Amino acid sequence: MAVIHLTIVTPENKYFEEDAQKVIVRTTGGDVCILPNHIDYAAAIGDGEARITTASGEVKKARAQGGILHVANNDVQVIANYFEWKE
Amino acid sequence: MAGASMKDIKLRIRSVESTMQITKAMQLVASSKLRGARMRMEASRPYMKVARRAVWDIALHNTGAQSDYVIPREIKHRCYIVIAGDRGLAGSYNANILKRIEWDMKDAQCCFIPIGKKAKEYYTRHQLDMVVDIEKVEGLTFDTCKEIAVHVMKGYDEGRYDEIVLAYTSFVSVLTQKTKLKPLLPLDTRDAPKEEQTNRVMLCEPGADALLKGFLPQYLAGLIYSAACDAFASEQAARRVAMDSATKNAGEMIEDLSLRYNRARQSSITQEITEIVAGAEH
Repeated sequence: MAVIHLTIVTPENKYFEEDAQKVIVRTTGGDVCILPNHIDYAAAIGDGEARITTASGEVKKARAQGGILHVANNDVQVIANYFEWKE
Repeated sequence: MAGASMKDIKLRIRSVESTMQITKAMQLVASSKLRGARMRMEASRPYMKVARRAVWDIALHNTGAQSDYVIPREIKHRCYIVIAGDRGLAGSYNANILKRIEWDMKDAQCCFIPIGKKAKEYYTRHQLDMVVDIEKVEGLTFDTCKEIAVHVMKGYDEGRYDEIVLAYTSFVSVLTQKTKLKPLLPLDTRDAPKEEQTNRVMLCEPGADALLKGFLPQYLAGLIYSAACDAFASEQAARRVAMDSATKNAGEMIEDLSLRYNRARQSSITQEITEIVAGAEH
């Protein structure tokens, strides 16, 4: 199955660096879902829930605020100002 | 005479001993702070790597026209963000970075944003133009960095600064630290991989310019934050090494003084015996 390589960082820490099936991030223009083989893309992250479907199919939720969502060559980077996993 | 000098030597030994205690304590504090600082530094590095690529991508893919933030201007006003230490007694750590900037200044008009007490003191003493100053490097937060970033970006937009340079000391290892001058604005794209400059289609929401403008303060703040983490680790490492050699020197001095003390003691005893023997013979 196709996967994307997802990296989640904030200035203070790195939160995630693994393959994932799907990423949903709240951008300033609304929720954006990134699937494998997405075209190169960049958007400003707003403030809201991020949902990550990991390679094993597990759905992880988190809050992401500010920063940028960047997709290049199937490499997805969530460069947030603030990021926190939800229990 | 021997007695007086013996007392003097004893006093010297005692004073060197107490100095040694201080340097030793400072060394221990520096090494424990260094551990924390290195962890923070390591944690902030992935952000830099990832964010830098994203910024290059957006700035260089800017549909035809290049962004204002990439084109170099004629440099008349330069702004330095200087990260030095909070305290002294760290070998040549503070002097190195401040000297490096002095050499770099040349004839451009410069203003400074010192971070750290030592940098602030230096620029106050030399009566150089300070825009804002931050007293402490230790525990510098991302929010404070963002204030600085917003300020310099505004200055850059308004044309008050033509170039913004971040000066800090980069941590290589405990024994080596390197002073670095990193241009923040205009964006340094010299290291950008060549393939990035070809016209790959990239979708930006909202437009590339707006995106870059919104993200740059955060990116610059991230750069300042990670530089501060780097500099703080360097400061602690420099202090640890300086205090380590100070402790060693103090140890050597004590050894030397003890030898002199024992010699003086021996010679006074010998003299006494000679006097007694001489008295008995008469």
